[in-house]
Amino acid sequence: MSRRPVAALVAVALAAGLLLFAFARLFGRDPHEVPFGLRGKPAPDFTLTRLDTGETITLRQLRGHPVVLNFWASWCAPCQLEHPTLARAAQHFAAQARFFGVVFEDTPENARAFARPLEPSFPQLVDPQSRMAVDYGVSGVPETYFIDAEGIIRDKVVGPMLDLQEVASRLDALRSPAPAPGASR
Amino acid sequence: MRTLVLALWLSATPHPPQQAGSAPLDGPREARVQALGKLLRCPMCQGLSIADSGSSAARAQMDRVRELVAEGQSDAEIRAYFVARYGEWALLEPSTEGFNWLVWLGPPALLLLGAWVIGRLVRRPPPPHTATAPEPKPAEEDKYLEAVRAELRK
Repeated sequence: MSRRPVAALVAVALAAGLLLFAFARLFGRDPHEVPFGLRGKPAPDFTLTRLDTGETITLRQLRGHPVVLNFWASWCAPCQLEHPTLARAAQHFAAQARFFGVVFEDTPENARAFARPLEPSFPQLVDPQSRMAVDYGVSGVPETYFIDAEGIIRDKVVGPMLDLQEVASRLDALRSPAPAPGASR
Repeated sequence: MRTLVLALWLSATPHPPQQAGSAPLDGPREARVQALGKLLRCPMCQGLSIADSGSSAARAQMDRVRELVAEGQSDAEIRAYFVARYGEWALLEPSTEGFNWLVWLGPPALLLLGAWVIGRLVRRPPPPHTATAPEPKPAEEDKYLEAVRAELRK
């Protein structure tokens, strides 16, 4: 074999290898999925007020209890589907975790009109200008965060949670020790 | 009529209420906010920066950038804040480290390779004349031509 075809073969093999590497590394995931970097990290503290009573709630005062945070909005149809499941979960698993809703990019009037027919529900918090939502890396609604008793974000569910059993299994996972930082899920 | 139906349908569809963004900072600091916003990807839009998107989520992120600039954080710290939450995905301009070097150096390297290949093709001397089919001898040609002419004359 002369030198030229060998060089061409090497070049083609190199290009194919690079393409395969790029495909495996960059294109092996859903392009619409927004990565989440706070999994396994301490949940940013927040100070928000309750939609109904105006009482101030901070994450610090909840330390020692697992916390479920659900970001929602009245203009979000999947949130309307999901809300009854979460309201039932909040009652059912009240001993296991504290449930809070966080109103995302909505007016308090719209949020109250949305939440009223669902009473008794879990406390809803007002997040002015969505500052806390950005702090938590929210990429859309609905999103539900599971925070353990030590204040570590253990998981985030993107999209509606429509199954009580799914909530139960994620709450169970909050009781197991947190994986070491940097460990794969 | 169709326009009216469309307008009614659009106004009845649930949509996020528009909230006003935070007040702009003074000139140079606001310029920094806008420049940073141009480099951060909006999580709810398709390939738009948070400075260019009109979505409420992008507005919320721009507010946060403004707040961090006002607190005196550097551009690198503000980028790190968003990368911590959304990963490298948040950056419309990938950082110059690790695997990302391929993105930065790949296109110029391919251009250089292409220029080199073209340069070689242009400078290469034309291939020497290879042996072509021998020209028919005039006598042979004449013999066939004569036969054809003879046929035509019949």
